[in-house]
Amino acid sequence: MDRIQCQWCKAQNPPEATSCQTCGAPLDVSNLVTDSGWREAPRLRDMTEFAFGASTCQVEGEIVPVAEINLGGGDSVFFEHHVMLWKDESVPVTTQMTGGGMKRMLGGMPFIVTLAHGPGRIAFSRDATGEVVVLPLHPSMELDVRGHAFLLASHTISYSFVQIKGLANVLHGGEGMYMDRFVTSDQPGILLLHGYGNVFERTLGDGEKILVEPGGFLYKDSSVQMNTVQQQVKTGLLRHGMYLAEMVGPGRVGIQSMYVHHHG
Amino acid sequence: MAAYTCPFCRLESDGTATSCPHCGAPVDVRVRVSDSGWEEQPPIANMARIQFGRSTCQVEGMYVPVADMNLAPDDWVYFSHHVLLWTEPTVGMDAMPMAGGWNRMYAGMPLVMMRAAGPGHIAFSHDDPGETVAIPLAAGQAMDVREHRFLVATGNVSYQWYDPGIWFTTRSGDDTETHYPLGRFVDRFQATGPGLLLLHAPGNVFVRDLQAGQAICLQPSALLYKDPGVGMQLHLEYPGGSMGWGSYTNRTVWLRMWGPGRIAVHSVFERPESANNISSTSPATAQRWG
Repeated sequence: MDRIQCQWCKAQNPPEATSCQTCGAPLDVSNLVTDSGWREAPRLRDMTEFAFGASTCQVEGEIVPVAEINLGGGDSVFFEHHVMLWKDESVPVTTQMTGGGMKRMLGGMPFIVTLAHGPGRIAFSRDATGEVVVLPLHPSMELDVRGHAFLLASHTISYSFVQIKGLANVLHGGEGMYMDRFVTSDQPGILLLHGYGNVFERTLGDGEKILVEPGGFLYKDSSVQMNTVQQQVKTGLLRHGMYLAEMVGPGRVGIQSMYVHHHG
Repeated sequence: MAAYTCPFCRLESDGTATSCPHCGAPVDVRVRVSDSGWEEQPPIANMARIQFGRSTCQVEGMYVPVADMNLAPDDWVYFSHHVLLWTEPTVGMDAMPMAGGWNRMYAGMPLVMMRAAGPGHIAFSHDDPGETVAIPLAAGQAMDVREHRFLVATGNVSYQWYDPGIWFTTRSGDDTETHYPLGRFVDRFQATGPGLLLLHAPGNVFVRDLQAGQAICLQPSALLYKDPGVGMQLHLEYPGGSMGWGSYTNRTVWLRMWGPGRIAVHSVFERPESANNISSTSPATAQRWG
């Protein structure tokens, strides 16, 4: 029997499906790929629904989208508490320390995440125009995400953080001192990010490089190396020059088109 | 033989593409004109390409569009460094210093423009939801643009700025504050050969042609661009009614513009500033309703 493979998450779908059952990407729309090789993140149709574990997620709205989760019994998701939009009264919530509390607090990052447990409904959104990016994680995947971009993740994903290496990265890189790291072990999971503006993804080959404005960085496979490079544009008035994030493959890099510029 | 004239940039093409090769406006849409005469500038279609020189610009995304340029060897563009989103390492970049540094710094304007030279890809975006507006400029043609709306321009478009002389002061007790509702400077871009100017407008964009002597009042911060021939000055409007001092404080500060020439506005603008009494202004007209 024929199956349709989703071009975004590579999951298999039945032939009659019009959107991917794993990530919600439209299956009847061509990929939008720029001449320079960036693939636009799939624009989820309003009210698109997809499944993970015993739960479903429906993405509603297109300007500031809402991710509404119908949690199955035994499933849970975790998130930063301020992205919670509404919930059923009966859905229990708990908190969990991330570790590294004082360092994370100094870095402006959450050191407590909130968990919501099924059964019941709960919905999330961030407070800016943009797109929900759905990233199903297969077993044994590692993904690094810029701070404050993560919307929610399923409980089968472990959450930690990596300190951005090197003084130049910390001082000039622009992503802050920490990046969130999401890792799956033997079970798949689902990770939802909020990208500000529009989101584009590119897969770098081994050793291939691209320079990205640090504020535009959204996520990357952990196999992608990130370094800070200085552009030689110094003048008397711009004493510190300009810093960009150099991404070196192999792996995926995601960027967002609306960002806060970080001065050098 | 040219068969199609784009209603937005007014340049000709064969009309067989789905978007204008000069400005990216969709070819297959009817011009949408409001009852009051504003033409809605249609957003550049996702992934549309614009040709300039031997290079192309592809506009990607619908909320916060990205201008992704494929620069040919010897072609170059310039931009303010904070709009750079990503670049290939092959693209050469250096600074394009400008005169008037202290004045510009005082006004919050970029002190240094950066140049990027081909070959290679480089991409730009602004940090507001809105539209990318492409303005092809013929040799000698100039366009005045409100500050902070500039995204990127080709090397054959010169960049200058001027003081529009539009200001007012307010007084509160012994404190006098000077306001520049249009900003301290207006950018002027003039092409020495066929060039391309890209702007980023927050919200939606509307354009209209003012006839000679025809005037219109705008929120000053909504102005996107205008032909240099379009005149402008302040216009103060005081509402009527028995509000006592309110008739002086609940005033509206308009930018009065008159033709002939083309003007464009965007739908997101700054809220008007505080309503203290106006103590002095640049040349202005006023309307006090009874």
